[in-house]
Amino acid sequence: MHSALQCAGVDVRFGTVQALRDISLSFDPGKIHALLGQNGAGKSTLARALSGVLDPDAGSLQIQGQAVSFGDAAATQAAGLDIVHQRFALPPGFTVAEALEFASSRKMGGAVYSKHKIDAKWQARLNEAGLDVPVSAKLSSLPVETVQAIEITRALANDARVLILDEPTALLSPETISALFNQLRRLRESGVTLVVILHKLKEVMALADTVSILRQGTLVLPPTPTEDLSEDQIRELMIGEAPETPDAMVSTAPKKPEKELLAFAHVASRGKGPEPGLTDVSFTLRSGEILGVAGVEGNGQRAFAEIYAGLIRPMRGTITLEDTDLTAASVAERRACGLRSVPFDRMTEGASLSLTLWENTKSWLAEQFRGTAIPLVRLAGMRAETRAELDRYGVVYGDVNQPGGTLSGGNLQRVILARELTGEVCAVLAAQPTRGLDFGATQFVWEELSRVRNTGAGVLLISSDLDELFGVCDRIMVLRGGRVAGLFERGFSRTEIGRAMVGGA
Amino acid sequence: MMNRALGILSAVLPLLLAILMSAALFFATGYDVASVISGVIEGAITGFGSFWQTLRWSMPLLLIALGFLFCLRAGEFNIGGQGQMMMGGLGTVAVALLLPGPVALVLPLAILSGIALGAAWSFLPGLLKVKLGADEVIVTLMLNFVAVLFVSWVTTGPLKDPAVRGETASTPTVDSALRLSGGDGMSVTLLVLIAVAVVFAWLLAERSAFGLKLRYVGEAPEAARWQGMQAGQLKLWAYVLAGSFAGLAGAFEVLGPNGRLVTGATPTIGFTAIVVTIVGLSRVSGIVFAALLFGGLQAAILFLPIVSDLPSSGLKILEGLIALLVTAEFIRRRRGTG
Repeated sequence: MHSALQCAGVDVRFGTVQALRDISLSFDPGKIHALLGQNGAGKSTLARALSGVLDPDAGSLQIQGQAVSFGDAAATQAAGLDIVHQRFALPPGFTVAEALEFASSRKMGGAVYSKHKIDAKWQARLNEAGLDVPVSAKLSSLPVETVQAIEITRALANDARVLILDEPTALLSPETISALFNQLRRLRESGVTLVVILHKLKEVMALADTVSILRQGTLVLPPTPTEDLSEDQIRELMIGEAPETPDAMVSTAPKKPEKELLAFAHVASRGKGPEPGLTDVSFTLRSGEILGVAGVEGNGQRAFAEIYAGLIRPMRGTITLEDTDLTAASVAERRACGLRSVPFDRMTEGASLSLTLWENTKSWLAEQFRGTAIPLVRLAGMRAETRAELDRYGVVYGDVNQPGGTLSGGNLQRVILARELTGEVCAVLAAQPTRGLDFGATQFVWEELSRVRNTGAGVLLISSDLDELFGVCDRIMVLRGGRVAGLFERGFSRTEIGRAMVGGA
Repeated sequence: MMNRALGILSAVLPLLLAILMSAALFFATGYDVASVISGVIEGAITGFGSFWQTLRWSMPLLLIALGFLFCLRAGEFNIGGQGQMMMGGLGTVAVALLLPGPVALVLPLAILSGIALGAAWSFLPGLLKVKLGADEVIVTLMLNFVAVLFVSWVTTGPLKDPAVRGETASTPTVDSALRLSGGDGMSVTLLVLIAVAVVFAWLLAERSAFGLKLRYVGEAPEAARWQGMQAGQLKLWAYVLAGSFAGLAGAFEVLGPNGRLVTGATPTIGFTAIVVTIVGLSRVSGIVFAALLFGGLQAAILFLPIVSDLPSSGLKILEGLIALLVTAEFIRRRRGTG
């Protein structure tokens, strides 16, 4: 018997980044296979390659024993493979029947369709799948777990025998997850092969027959029966076997923390869409330290950063800077107090790609002018100051009038740092500041954060890369499910922090 | 420098293309293209009083375009300039006709009243957009119709000129002491006032922290949020400025060339002003040139029937082609930069 899905030697490069390196694996038919890995390990890239959405640089693919060329979604569908993406593919403004008919590979034919006929057809299909959904309801009016079940039905209606699900539990509440798992188990019974991308160990243990693990684009564990593995083994394979406490990556020696600077007390907030909020977060940032915020992505990091910056107000709890209550302070007021931030997405949140470098560097000047009637900008002065700052931060650029979009990611991050770290800085939050940067730029970001720390400011570093956190942080706290799941002093243990991040025994 | 030159080229090319296409059309339909061209030049520049007429028609285009620029910078497509101008005219004519008193008091009040009514007519859709998320394109467009009907009611009802019968509805003419120009439309006083408005707009848009913030909010709303800029407040100010400039255009129309508020006068000028902003590459300096260009074209449209057998609708085709091609180029540019 041949395998349900098999690939060999898959290589994917995005520019200079090797997203997948020589992946060869084979999934047995009629089982539920879990695909695990940290963020950026290449899980979604692999899923997109296997489903024909993405064309790898090298490698071969076989679906149910039949060779299929990469990058051809229609051919992979015809061979019996389909994928349910994390973001649903069905158009939300359509009714259930319309959306399913639209996405179906075997349409009724003709330019005109009968609403009555497609309603009847899909109602029958949904009933067969054990779903009680009115086919005339709009998708946008249905709860997310129902839409997901419909997505799965859509894939099966196209005769999929191999189904890939990209993080199907990410959007679901705990109660609906067990319903999804039951639906997946029923599919297994009917002989469908499932490849499920998962994050949480608990879910893997509950659902999967086999586990495969990706780390930094490499397959570190080929499909292995779940019962042969312990949670600790899986965790170790996901996070890596680097030394327990790596040497500090930055040259400057950590300064002894002095006074308490910024304090969160029982801060809670609502989630926004798939982004969870904070449940209860308390911590104190001391001056002269870098406090790492570790955690699997999607555990409240974004809410944490937005509450810090003042973009959203907490539902409960207080935020104080030394003796000042900042809970209700606006973004501008916080900046005036010396709170700075390097946001997650440097292209949209950190800087403007269409505005010029001097406008990007000097945008904070808005605050200096508050109160004056029509504050005028001395362009020549602004440009000269910008030149000096960009030179100090080693930005490679031609002219301060060139748009931000002409810079590379690393250079753009330097511009953002030049803006955020100039002036009276009390505390800085850096959210994934080195993601996607090359080694030199990464090193520069670390050095800058350490330099600010050594001037007596406090630094919060949100990262999902444990090596980065171990290398530069003085303390690390772990966010899990919107709570602080652990606070660790230097002399970090990968096992302990890993356990706090992923949960389990 | 290179970018600047390319930008100017991308604004000039659609113009040239539109002129070539209309010339081909005139030629194909049997008109004497050379006489049309000389007629346009005479009507816009060289003829007696022609350039004065060009300035006269550039005035409302320039002012509305400058106002539109502020909203465009903030990422808002406020196409209600037409209605805002008419409401501005209404505010001005009401004060000029109904408020007794010395000219030194009534004249500034009449202008301010025009600005205020124009601003209010723009503030309303701004508020609906910022607070409730109502689509500003639709609301400002619809408010244009409301303004037209309202002005038409005023000019046929409460402020109807009893001397006018049948034809165009209008208010009585305002006191000649309040007029900023004669019937030929332009005067040194008006030119000075317009120059002041242009300098004000330039300082605010290109040289102030306010202008920088507007651009930030329009170009990079997420980054502006992280920088602590109050997007809603800034956008509301942009709407108020847009309405103020359009209202000023309405005030000058009433106190200058028209001398009264006329229903159906200059019914498309608010839309041409949008094209002016775009041809002017969304910069104050560019808008001044573009306004002169379209003002000249308008003057030529009015003059041409005198010297050429080409009906003035022929030049309307040219104007329409310019608007079409320039908009196409504008959209291409927007897409290109992301």
